Amino acid sequence: MNMFDTKGHTAAQDGRKPNTLKKLERLNTALRHQEPDRVPISDFFWGGFTKRWQQELGLPPDANPYYHYDLDWIVTVPNMDPWIRPFQTLKESADEVVVKTGFGSIMHKHFEFPMPEMRGWETDTFEKLELATFDDPADRRRFFAGGDNQIAGVGDGFQRNTPPWIETVKSLRPDFPVYGSIIEVSECLTRLIGQENAMLWMGEEPERMGAVINRIGEFYFETAKAEMAAGKGLLDGFVIWGDVAYKKCTFMSPRYWREYFKPWVAKITEHAHANGLPVIYHGCGNVKAIFQDYIDMKVDAYNPLEVKAGMDVLELRRQYGHGIGFCGNSDMQVWETGDREAIRREVLRKLNAAKGGGYIFQSDHSVSSAVSGQTYDYIVKLVREFGNYPIQLGEFEEQL
Amino acid sequence: MQDLKPLHEAILNGNAKTAKAVTEQALAAGIEPMKLVQEYMMPAMAEVGRRFECNEYFVPELLLAARAMKAALELIRPLLVASGAKPAARVALGTVKGDLHDIGKNLVAAMLEGGGYEVIDLGVNVSPEQFIAAIKEKGANIVAMSALLTTTMPSMKTTVEALKQAGVRDQVKILVGGAPITQKYADEIGADGYSESAAGAVAAAKKVLA
Repeated sequence: MNMFDTKGHTAAQDGRKPNTLKKLERLNTALRHQEPDRVPISDFFWGGFTKRWQQELGLPPDANPYYHYDLDWIVTVPNMDPWIRPFQTLKESADEVVVKTGFGSIMHKHFEFPMPEMRGWETDTFEKLELATFDDPADRRRFFAGGDNQIAGVGDGFQRNTPPWIETVKSLRPDFPVYGSIIEVSECLTRLIGQENAMLWMGEEPERMGAVINRIGEFYFETAKAEMAAGKGLLDGFVIWGDVAYKKCTFMSPRYWREYFKPWVAKITEHAHANGLPVIYHGCGNVKAIFQDYIDMKVDAYNPLEVKAGMDVLELRRQYGHGIGFCGNSDMQVWETGDREAIRREVLRKLNAAKGGGYIFQSDHSVSSAVSGQTYDYIVKLVREFGNYPIQLGEFEEQL
Repeated sequence: MQDLKPLHEAILNGNAKTAKAVTEQALAAGIEPMKLVQEYMMPAMAEVGRRFECNEYFVPELLLAARAMKAALELIRPLLVASGAKPAARVALGTVKGDLHDIGKNLVAAMLEGGGYEVIDLGVNVSPEQFIAAIKEKGANIVAMSALLTTTMPSMKTTVEALKQAGVRDQVKILVGGAPITQKYADEIGADGYSESAAGAVAAAKKVLA
């Protein structure tokens, strides 16, 4: 069970249900910074959470939080591997598996642990990186064929032979607003050469590395264009995955990010908008130093706004007004305590950000296996109870 | 007397080749290894840490500086060992059990080495037993634990408890850090110190040893 393996329950030809169109209107109204009927809510769920939630709430093994709570949007991932090829299994036992993926990274997945370990990289020198030639970004297999791919396959779970992306989109579309997605260069580099090498080579050879970043940026821009074309008429929006920050600040200097990374985010955003798709950018860490840049690029909403990195949606709303939408920021560490009073305080405080629209309620990253099923159940009920417009939050009311 | 400022500058600018070359020349000229460490390398890494804290330096600059410092230290360390010089402390460092992330831990290792500490890098997914063995068998007097995930940070508490059970808790100071860790959490689990960033780890170590 993986974060991105939700398949639709409905036959693709069934068409969109009135409730789905209502959810889409809710989401888009919020992204236009207007007040819909209620605050949209969704999330990204660890496989470990979903299992726990099923058991704790006595639900069947095929129960899924997106369907159970009729959540307002869902994200899909095509094959974004530089090289389209099956995983090469290097070691396998009942407890763990080690595979080489289409990023050329050696991934160790211990089934007991929530996240995988990157043990090595095929592209282990700068020279190899400069000479690397990826498969065609518009290769139809990325969107129309099943098979292994690292983003969908090796994460909080482990999955072989992911179904064709287009089939997933079609099967979810009757029931949910469906977003396509693409990683940006930073996410690719982490998998292709490892984060430490990426940072070291940026420092060592900033311009040569900049040329590599531009080449990979172009590759993912072309992949995004091909994905939007493949999903034409089927997608409701687009997510760009791109972690460029940690707890304190951006990994690289804001100047370097602006020179080499930002232009590709801007191009993908612009192309999505030209195709009528709103854009939600997902980037962990403290991005305060470059937050205005996302507004300048006309990104529609920022996710996940990690509390542990000092991000606060109300502070951001006060600072930037409705220049950008927000998606997330509900503190996972509070959710994990299971303390109902603290959770209520956390949820209701963050709902202040939804005044005037422009807010999608989600956790500040993803729902981990340390959150109980009952807690998530309680949170959805709170958002549904207090997220109706006009928002009234009583003692948790804050002026923005 | 050889001008050793280039060693300081080489570390600050992340130039490993120069750092190594200047160190070689200095050692050949008979300059005391400890003088190189204490008067040039440690102040350079302290300045790197300061710049990192002030967002003048970022992760790439920090990694380059650490690599330059290591290049020089590789030449110096055998001489220090031979002379019987003691490090500021011996730190058993690792990412806790269940957590397989290492870049934060590696940055802490670099900063601590640059601060004059000997680092026993236990790697990732480090069990309480491995920390205990590092204390008993390698004489670690600081245990430094890192965690990236909220789901793995409870392993820090488990490790603190295991150290107590093994009767070695009082022999060491415990430092914790990582994305989800706060001073409040450090206090709750009975750690002696906490650092918000890799650069702050040196000051945290110094504080708990004072």
